[in-house]
Amino acid sequence: MTILSVAGPRPRPDAVDRPRVLLAPITVTPSKPLTPSHLKGLLWTDVMYRATRPLADVAYRYSHTTYHPTEQTLGFWEFLDRSRGATDYGDFTEERIGELYVAFRAAERAPAQALFPYAEAVEQGWVHPASTRILQLWSAHYAALGLHDPGLLRHQPPGLGLDAVLERLTGLGMCLDQREVGGPVYLDLTRLGLPLRRLVAADGRPNYLACALRELIPLAPDFDEVVLLYDHELDSDYQQLERVLTALGPRVRRVAVSRVPVEGRISSARHGGWRGLHAGTLIDAARAEYHEDAVRLGMRLYFIAALGPGRQQSFRSDLLLQCVKRAARLLDAAGPETDGAALQDRLAQHRKDHVYVDPYRLTSHLLGKRRAAPAADLLRTVFL
Amino acid sequence: MTETVGPITQDSLRAQEAMRIRAARPDLAARHDLTSHDGLTAARSDITAEGDAGSLVTVVLRNFDLAQWVRDTCVFALGVGAQQAADWRTSFTRTVFLAGNPAQLRERFRFAHIAGDDSAAWTTPGPAALTFSLRRLLKLFDAPAGLPARPDTLVEIPDGHRRPGRPRARRDLYVATAECTISEALVHVNHVLAEAVLDGLVAPGDHLVVHQVPRIVGLPARLATVRVTTEKHLPGRLKAAAGLTEEALVA
Repeated sequence: MTILSVAGPRPRPDAVDRPRVLLAPITVTPSKPLTPSHLKGLLWTDVMYRATRPLADVAYRYSHTTYHPTEQTLGFWEFLDRSRGATDYGDFTEERIGELYVAFRAAERAPAQALFPYAEAVEQGWVHPASTRILQLWSAHYAALGLHDPGLLRHQPPGLGLDAVLERLTGLGMCLDQREVGGPVYLDLTRLGLPLRRLVAADGRPNYLACALRELIPLAPDFDEVVLLYDHELDSDYQQLERVLTALGPRVRRVAVSRVPVEGRISSARHGGWRGLHAGTLIDAARAEYHEDAVRLGMRLYFIAALGPGRQQSFRSDLLLQCVKRAARLLDAAGPETDGAALQDRLAQHRKDHVYVDPYRLTSHLLGKRRAAPAADLLRTVFL
Repeated sequence: MTETVGPITQDSLRAQEAMRIRAARPDLAARHDLTSHDGLTAARSDITAEGDAGSLVTVVLRNFDLAQWVRDTCVFALGVGAQQAADWRTSFTRTVFLAGNPAQLRERFRFAHIAGDDSAAWTTPGPAALTFSLRRLLKLFDAPAGLPARPDTLVEIPDGHRRPGRPRARRDLYVATAECTISEALVHVNHVLAEAVLDGLVAPGDHLVVHQVPRIVGLPARLATVRVTTEKHLPGRLKAAAGLTEEALVA
């Protein structure tokens, strides 16, 4: 039994001397509108991705396919089909589908067995039309915001099946499998003083952490650095994930981004927490007054530099619009293009001992009072 | 506690349960009328209400094989010191079963006994606070499956510190499997064995033959001790969940 041995990254086949970075943010369940909290996470990841790309080979892995097998997605689909039957979701709004999701979360859970047909279909690339509709609407928001589309509508299955990943974990001495007695399967890092964490429930349902492991265990050895971006409330799970992936070779960086309170409260989307504030309405409101580039930069200034990684400030539409206004001024004053090396130097300043560029430091830097206006190529490469 | 149980009837089960409570906690026996079902229920709810007070053992289970676990449970109980045994007995040999892998834990925690294949580990009986950090790290052992069918199995308790001249005894251990999950069977068999060892019914070198039967009724031998529990579907009635027969000498 290999126990927690650290392998070191697999050597790259092409001998190019650029570090390889994997950005692996947690995905948003495609069942509701994108709330301010979701937007914050997406904008952080996008700036990190686009700012790091000039300095490293970056893979941005964001696969909805990977997380469809979780109960909150499969259960929602089963609930829709059971409670509504044949329905054309092609003209449903995000809010309408979101309301159905809230109803699902309030309803009694279906037995695990009812979800099996859905779980099997997901492995073959099937997506429920309600979620396809959501992902199409999100794709339009991504385009409006200039967000890199990591394949929202693509079938991107994880590299390992559930049994295969449990076998790998067992080989690493990190799995406690009690299915023989009808019990759950746990991620077992108790040797390191971390508590047992359930991966598969006694009734056979895998949770999101099991899904993440199916995806990241086969990917991790091919990277020098793996950056995990996640909601701060999932910190203990991500500490565990970090330990597992570290044993496979790469340096693992955890970047926790807190949710955005609305009127002082962090409310979960499962209770319909968007209350009229979501990507669609925010983009429309900003676009009514400002041009596309100003909205793109302004959103990034607000959700990254103004809100910061923490959760101290509640969402404020007026401050968001101020940021968009500020963005319009910055764009008008943008400096001339520089050469590629100068851009790399500027981006590289916003790193510590890691390869990825820190979105908060980079974006905040644009707002410094006595700073020269940002160069047009920096804006185009990272923020527009 | 060495009176035999006699044929399994509601009266004999009630008497057996009353005897168990009286032996461990005379104060509870004084407080309740243990000859009645209601009195027994009240005494049990007092015991439950005491929660984590008293002495308890934590058992960490990686996987479960009844015969092997029976053997190791006896080995563990035989190694418990006299004072700790008395305290644990007063707490009705309270035991918490947790899911965990002893091989991953042995460097951080002290165990009184670890099974040879690392499938299970036992802490010394003591106050709950002593095992708080272990319990915080692990989860309750969740085994909703029934006991897998198996033929009668001979379990030989290792000789260890066998008293010279004590004849090697053989007893039959009956486990009722109908409507019983592995989690529940563990609790029942654990109490029967731990208390039998602490009361001197099982000694080093003894043999136990483990029988799985749907219900403990019409046994060929008399029981020396029995684990009494309530009927799930018959309110007010008791049943035998596990029992150990009187001893026979090993030829």
